[in-house]
Amino acid sequence: MRLLVGYLATPSGEDGLDLGIRLARTVGAQLDIVIVLPPDRVLPGMVPIGGYEEILSEQADVWLARAAARVPEGITTTTHVCFNESFAQGLISEAQRLEAELIVVGAAGDGLVGRHTIGSVTGELLHSSTVPLALAPRGLRDSTVEQVREVTLAIGTGPGDGLALDTSVLASRAAGTSLRLVSLVALDPIFDSMRGGDDSIRDRAHTHAKLMLDAAKAVLPEEFPVTSTITDGATIEDAVNKLEWHDGDMIVVGSSRLAPPRRLFLGSTAAKMLRVLEVPMIVIPRPDIDSDTAEPDAQEGGSQP
Amino acid sequence: MTGDRPTTELAAAEEAGGLKSKGLAAGKVGTFSGAILGISCVAPGYTLTASIGLIVAAVGLKMPAIFIAGFVPMFLTAYAYRELNSRAPDCGASFTWSTKAFGPYIGWMCGWGMVIATIIVLSNLAAIAVEFFYLFIGRVVNNPNIAELANNTVINIATTLVFIALATMIASRGITTSERVQYVLVGFQMIVLLAFAVTALVKVGLGDAPAGLRFDLEWFNPFTGLALGAFVIGVTGSIFAFWGWDTCLTLGEESKDPTRTPGRAGLLCVVSILLTYLLVAVAVMMYAGVGAEGLGLGNEENAENVFGALATPVLGGWVGQLLFLAVLASAAASLQTTFLPAARAMLAMGAYGAFPAKFASINPRFLVPTFATIVAGVVTAAFYIVVSLLSEAVLLDTIAALGIMISWYYGITAFACVWYFRRELFTSAHNAVFKFLFPLLGGIILAAVFVISIRESMNPANASGGAIGGIGLVFYLGFGVLGFGAVLMMVMRFTRPDYFLGRTLARDVSTSAGAHALEPTQS
Repeated sequence: MRLLVGYLATPSGEDGLDLGIRLARTVGAQLDIVIVLPPDRVLPGMVPIGGYEEILSEQADVWLARAAARVPEGITTTTHVCFNESFAQGLISEAQRLEAELIVVGAAGDGLVGRHTIGSVTGELLHSSTVPLALAPRGLRDSTVEQVREVTLAIGTGPGDGLALDTSVLASRAAGTSLRLVSLVALDPIFDSMRGGDDSIRDRAHTHAKLMLDAAKAVLPEEFPVTSTITDGATIEDAVNKLEWHDGDMIVVGSSRLAPPRRLFLGSTAAKMLRVLEVPMIVIPRPDIDSDTAEPDAQEGGSQP
Repeated sequence: MTGDRPTTELAAAEEAGGLKSKGLAAGKVGTFSGAILGISCVAPGYTLTASIGLIVAAVGLKMPAIFIAGFVPMFLTAYAYRELNSRAPDCGASFTWSTKAFGPYIGWMCGWGMVIATIIVLSNLAAIAVEFFYLFIGRVVNNPNIAELANNTVINIATTLVFIALATMIASRGITTSERVQYVLVGFQMIVLLAFAVTALVKVGLGDAPAGLRFDLEWFNPFTGLALGAFVIGVTGSIFAFWGWDTCLTLGEESKDPTRTPGRAGLLCVVSILLTYLLVAVAVMMYAGVGAEGLGLGNEENAENVFGALATPVLGGWVGQLLFLAVLASAAASLQTTFLPAARAMLAMGAYGAFPAKFASINPRFLVPTFATIVAGVVTAAFYIVVSLLSEAVLLDTIAALGIMISWYYGITAFACVWYFRRELFTSAHNAVFKFLFPLLGGIILAAVFVISIRESMNPANASGGAIGGIGLVFYLGFGVLGFGAVLMMVMRFTRPDYFLGRTLARDVSTSAGAHALEPTQS
């Protein structure tokens, strides 16, 4: 199994690299560290100066050598430099070329403004990647945890997603712990009280979540260790924060229903979680439409993870 | 970093390193787009604004002849660039080539000339952008007082610094202008310039022009009625006007059909630029004359900003605004795109150890030489402040100094071409013409312009009149800055001698097509 780390010699680049190392160590994968460089378009100017790409790729080799030195012994590591107008597109095509099964990046932006938000590369990857994407939260590079501790799978309100479940099972097995299934329920207290019924809505949401959890459990391999939780809160962020998280934990979510087949698309729910979570998130692309015929059109508007 | 690995070795190395497509993929630049890119390098709207005043002040009605006289050496030298660039493409361009041909000291001074030329043009671009920014705003809100703000030294310096800071910030974050924006800007400039020239000529025809001169072929003859000093001063302005168009020759390396397109794109580009310059020059002269009164181009009040003075009389208020906008856009876009080569020239010198190593650092997030870019911005700002306080006509003086700087480093590059290729100059007719004859003639003309302008620039009357101790400001801006560079070079020689001892970039000579690069170079 190959994991591709999209690297920049920046703090969030280190976050991504360290997550890549953690995952590779957990599942026994090899690492491909990739820097994508912008091709040097010949820019009109009064002093024509070319040859910048050579300088840039020499510098990238230096950065990559430093990154590879950070990878501990025992993990097979190769480094690559590729040129693409878009960092995200470059990573996706490298992932396809190398047949990597996961792209790992640091999710945070590196600027003063972007530190708490999703970086632009991550944003683009979330809209176009054809392979699962692992997002390292800001500051993961400071963690001393070596392996994934526990895997949490977020169950949406729509029909289950086989690939997300399979990935979670694989990771859980590698980590040697049980799989935690969670269903997050957002209850808008003001809106609900205006409608008069408080407990009934809450009950209905919980009943639905329970159904979804049971459906997921039903397809799990027999005797696979699993725990399940339903958590509610005023918002999804609120609900996800009520869960207990430990350093080394990881959450898996599926793509939004809005995603085209075999593409990632982070739904609003998952995006909200990403903003508050301090654990890595793996986003799984939506499977082929053929294998998901149960999906009714009415679900298009919803964007559950 | 040798930059001259043969293509096969480079390709092999790239494959080993997992490199895929690089840069402008073959098949991206056609004849037309190549020419457009070439034209946008020259930024004709800005260039004409900046150079007409200086040229008219020096040579009056001989302006068309001077445009041709400046065109010739730039045309010839452009071939030196093409030949060197196709054999030894390198981020350091003139700096690297002249070091290879003539050793570290001449190479350093050539690189210094290139760096200073970009600094001077950045300050001039910012100044013109500011001038036309206020002119345009003043016209839009119909308040002449706003247009006058550009003449207030404090406001002018403050606004210029803001423009420079913005352009530095954009460039240091690796944001570049897209080709499409360049196309639109070039198209807009050319249309407005042509409309301006044609309207001026029509008004002359209708007897509606203040001067209404009759066309005279003598205007195109540089050999009569011109003192050598005036001729050379004019040529420095004209050399500046053609600076940069050689880019479309080097663009040819990546174009659709490498054997044909560069020639056609380059020719189309240079012919359009030359014709535009000549047309505009003739039109403004016939319309306004070169008298020192009123709208005359010789009027010192108009010299710095010919379009500013003529736009409204020729085109009327509403269309005149478009001319202001075209020059503003041209200057602002060039200000932004010129930061990139300015930073890269310093980056290359830093990478070879000719400048402190910090200049070679690349920002890991934006993947551009952010440090060199910021230094370029700070030096440009400092240069502009000093010149504004000393000079009576900043734009005129900076263009005159720029012409000197370009003659210096283009001249050295032309000779470097001849010397670098010395073993193969007469192996074919192509080599004899493009590696020997053209660069040699171009180099000799540029050297002559450079030498004569030493004396001429000392005379304050030849530019704005600004002087220190009776010696013209242009002398200090041109030769003074080169002398300062020589001092810095000696400082670098004793603090970081590696480059000067040939350890980072060795002297080299071409042996045959590409084979020289197989020799081990010290690096």
